[in-house]
Amino acid sequence: MAAVEEPQDYLDVLQSHRGGFSFENCKRNAYLASQVAIKPPTAMKSGTTICGIQLKDVVILAADTRSTCGPMVADKNCEKLHFIAKNVYCAGAGTAADLQHTTEMMESQMELLRMATGTQPRVCTVVRRLSSMLFKYQGYVGCALVLGGVDVTGPHLFQIYPHGSTDKLPFTSMGSGSLAAMAILEAEYNENLSVEEGKKLVAKAIRAGIFNDLGSGSNVDVCVITKDVGGTILRNFEKPNERKFRAKHAAFPIGTTPIMKQEITKLVSVEEDVVMRD
Amino acid sequence: MMDFMAQRPVGQEFVRHVEDGCPYRADDVMKPEQAVSTGTTLVVAEFDGGVVMCADTRTSTGQYCANRASRKISKVHDRIFVCRSGSAADTQALTSFVLHYLGQHAVELGKQPTVNTAANLFKIMAYNNKDHLLAGLIVAGYDDKKGGQIYSIPLGGTRVRVPYAADGSGSGYIKGFMDANYRPGMSKAECLEFVQKATALAISRDGSSGGMVRSLVITKDKVEEAVIEGNKLPVDL
Amino acid sequence: MSGLMEYNGSAIVAMAGENCVGIASDTRHGIRQLQTVSCNRQKTFQVTDQCYVGLSGLATDVQTVSQLLNFRMKLFTLREERKMQPRMIGNMIASMLYEKRFGPYFTEPVVAGLDGEHKPYLCTFDFIGCLSTAEDFVVSGTTAEQLFGVCESFWRPGMNKDELFETLSQCLLSAADRDCLAGWGGVVHIITPDEIITKKLKGRMD
Repeated sequence: MAAVEEPQDYLDVLQSHRGGFSFENCKRNAYLASQVAIKPPTAMKSGTTICGIQLKDVVILAADTRSTCGPMVADKNCEKLHFIAKNVYCAGAGTAADLQHTTEMMESQMELLRMATGTQPRVCTVVRRLSSMLFKYQGYVGCALVLGGVDVTGPHLFQIYPHGSTDKLPFTSMGSGSLAAMAILEAEYNENLSVEEGKKLVAKAIRAGIFNDLGSGSNVDVCVITKDVGGTILRNFEKPNERKFRAKHAAFPIGTTPIMKQEITKLVSVEEDVVMRD
Repeated sequence: MMDFMAQRPVGQEFVRHVEDGCPYRADDVMKPEQAVSTGTTLVVAEFDGGVVMCADTRTSTGQYCANRASRKISKVHDRIFVCRSGSAADTQALTSFVLHYLGQHAVELGKQPTVNTAANLFKIMAYNNKDHLLAGLIVAGYDDKKGGQIYSIPLGGTRVRVPYAADGSGSGYIKGFMDANYRPGMSKAECLEFVQKATALAISRDGSSGGMVRSLVITKDKVEEAVIEGNKLPVDL
Repeated sequence: MSGLMEYNGSAIVAMAGENCVGIASDTRHGIRQLQTVSCNRQKTFQVTDQCYVGLSGLATDVQTVSQLLNFRMKLFTLREERKMQPRMIGNMIASMLYEKRFGPYFTEPVVAGLDGEHKPYLCTFDFIGCLSTAEDFVVSGTTAEQLFGVCESFWRPGMNKDELFETLSQCLLSAADRDCLAGWGGVVHIITPDEIITKKLKGRMD
């Protein structure tokens, strides 16, 4: 069993910064936790509704845009549709930091693969890499993904769970609002839908999540992936929750706030001549 | 090669930021996410000239059905298949490792690998990592050496050859039915009917099994897949 | 109230204006509710000429992270002979925090700066490195909930540097009045294309 290595000196610490996770704070945090009665810090979670459908030769993904931090709405219009490759996108639910960094890492892996092989990445490659990574972390990396793409073998839609299990499905939903979204998809999905009808269906499913699940809210983002164009994100495809009012009061008069001290630093641009010496 | 779990960060090393059973929030980011499991019914039986495998299609996360049409019978080689129960992630990972090693082995061998080899690979993986895995497997298939065979690999990683086996949460409801109705040397049709009936009975009693009944008949010459939809199950309740 | 994020208390808010951006923080350094150590703790740090980072959370980690940032910024300038743009700083902080995903620093940074075209850039992070950007305002610290409330109603688009200062300070002061862990004076930095205005606020001392 691999033990966490204890840094012995400054160089070890620097060495440990060369990539991968760093566990240097673990011992300290455990100590702090034992000293202070701990309430866990709340990381951002996307209590989310995401869904995806696979049609004849197109895959459509959709997501809501609320990210929460405990009961607080941390971001009213965040992006939950992530770019992985031109022809592969994914929608994520779970721990926001994990989703952001996992998908970014996958994006760079796929770009490197594309450059190394000179071919378009395939959906199954992405799925396998993601699932083996998530399995390795045994559910501690909290990524629940709906992954869709179109490659040489056609359109594919997968769902990937945090522990690394995968399912290939014609339509799926995930996140806290998945039950609401699934109800809509189960009732109205049909593989012969047109792209326009498909977009409407996923938006309707997400709307069901937005209005019925407290963890989901704000707007609907849609991503259409076709064979010819690749993926296009339709940011804020629907905005069913625009702000209804904004107070029309005047700005605070200058000098409202009492100050004790003021410092002004002028920024000047320094042009330095480059002198070539031999 | 078998200690793939060693790459995983050690569980105890993670800082626990919350006491167990903390009512304040269920979404502690330092804790692992809830597992997806195949609360399952798997039924496999030998007949004259091959084996029949049968499984329901429900995958659940707690109360929610994550996939109502999943495939729990996975291909390992041309004539070797495995029925998976327990954690979906663990069994899928296990299967893909065996798929990989058995594929390599078959290339080196230059002919079809035996069911025995496949089952042994599964056993080694399941046994060596038994503290970390939640996997109940039934490996079945056909080879020229011993014909149709079934190997059951339950939770701890034991490997036993059996003429018929049932596994998963639904298996408890039908063990008696199987003991009463299984006969060695059934015909293919008889055996298929028996196995499908057993699975359907389990589905009707077990809450975490459900959906359809997928079946697979493996003989010397071919592999036949069939499915009975959830509203056409061979039980009248 | 117990927990590492609430141990020292902090209120940080940053807002965008027309070609200017401002960041404000309180100055209390306390230990839970019972003890106030000082009222001039630094919680906002200048990382480049036109970019500030505010660090809320556990004081020891605020200092460690600010030093780490300083180190990274200097190393970058030495290697690349150029300044980091705010967007880049944001991404760097995100990966710095996520590297410690399983043994985190208990601090939630806020980045406020002007980019090359003098456009405001604002973003905030959770303590494990989830970056979220905003066009209007970002908040962080124990006072986050109160700050969200006041900013939602007082922020308006297109503020000049003086309006921005007033709005920012009023939001900070009114929010901190409802947080017993933060307050005791405040400091506001307004970043404009040609100057940085730093003002110390006269706040309630209770």
